[in-house]
Amino acid sequence: MSDIVLKVKNLNVEFEGEKVLEDLTFDLREKEILVILGPNGAGKSVLLRTLLGLLPFQGLIQWKKDIHKGFVPEEFVVSKNLPLSVKEFFQFKKVSLKEISQAFDWVGIKISEKFLEKRLGTLSSGQLRRTLIAWVMVDSPDVILLDEPMVGIDIHGRETIYDSLVELWTKKGQSIIFVSHEIGEVCKKADKILALDKRKLFYGLPKKVITPQNLAKIYGTSMAL
Amino acid sequence: MEPQWLYSTIVGISVGGVAGYLGSLMITKRMALVGDALGHVALPGVALALIYGFNVSWGALPCLALGILLIWLFEMRTKLPMEALTGIVFTTSVAIAFLFLPESEVSTALIGDISQINLADTLVSIILSLVVFLILRKIFSQMILANLSEELAKIEHVEVEKYNLIYLICIAIVVSLGIKITGSLLMGALVITPAAAARNLARNLSQYSYGALIIGIISCVAGILMFWFFSLPAGPLVILIASLIFLISLGFKKR
Repeated sequence: MSDIVLKVKNLNVEFEGEKVLEDLTFDLREKEILVILGPNGAGKSVLLRTLLGLLPFQGLIQWKKDIHKGFVPEEFVVSKNLPLSVKEFFQFKKVSLKEISQAFDWVGIKISEKFLEKRLGTLSSGQLRRTLIAWVMVDSPDVILLDEPMVGIDIHGRETIYDSLVELWTKKGQSIIFVSHEIGEVCKKADKILALDKRKLFYGLPKKVITPQNLAKIYGTSMAL
Repeated sequence: MEPQWLYSTIVGISVGGVAGYLGSLMITKRMALVGDALGHVALPGVALALIYGFNVSWGALPCLALGILLIWLFEMRTKLPMEALTGIVFTTSVAIAFLFLPESEVSTALIGDISQINLADTLVSIILSLVVFLILRKIFSQMILANLSEELAKIEHVEVEKYNLIYLICIAIVVSLGIKITGSLLMGALVITPAAAARNLARNLSQYSYGALIIGIISCVAGILMFWFFSLPAGPLVILIASLIFLISLGFKKR
């Protein structure tokens, strides 16, 4: 059994007296891909932020010591007017041009001098998402948390990128927490699935937990039009 | 050549440069008018300095520290928008200053006077400008990252609150230095206008921040030299040159 990277026990998060997350318990192991599913407003993004130490909580969140974390947030907007080039965006991380070019390869972008000189704010939403994923991956974090990372990327692109990322994560032995509001491609390659709607709905291996009954637990109310 | 020429030009280079550089960060953080407001907050200290005959920058600095502290405290207590609180503090400062500012010193307080600058003032300006520039250069990219996404910055171990405080202190120092050249009324322009012009011309961040620095220097030096030649007040000349550069930059604006 591989090492535990993250241990979460009896996690509770409240916003102004309202419970947003209730009594969550799960863990993440080395090289594991954990997909978090749930309807809109289920607290998925809150969970990621809490795990990253950005929100107050009650309970236990224990990361492996000195672990290097990466985060792809759901919202990432860059003003068109900000004179920040793609290259300068990567210079925050003090990485070489070779590393930048490799990171862009992972997300399916062949970079040119011209692309690197472009203003970050002038990229299309799909390109910006890919750039952000490349930015987070470029210094090879041990664990990466992704919040709906494929939003804005076209369907065909999503599958190709997802496939190549999974391959890369496995090769590099990175642990992944991947938040998605829809079931699909992502679940097939997950090691474990955690479904939540404020509290845990189900948690386990995809083969075991992806059942019609369980899916109704997530989408039952929203699908009953 | 009179030493005052040299002193004032050197002060113009150092203060104009660092004010422009700082301005590029302030515009990005949508805090352009803070420099303007703080220029006014400093006025009681400037008035005291003029009455008792010491360097206006030394009068301005404690006033700015107090002003920033008050705005910060009021914000914690009231949760009113920062700009409203800044408005209250800066108008109060102006009102207090005009209770005791002698009429003969009004123009110096409002639009500055660099003709009496001495060697000590010059050295202090160079050293403080250089220190602030080096600090800003060190925190610049982290501040821009925090401005793009505070969450990403925190995860990359940027201590956002600490950097914000350092940044505010830098603003206070630059405003107190700049008041010597442009006075309370025009100080805001020294941080806003060069950076705005540079933003029109720049294609990336380093062109933007260093462009603002260079335009700040050009405006200050040209304004100060014109002051010695034409005996018009230096502060307004500096600002008008910066505004002229801004107008020219509009013609080159990248779309």
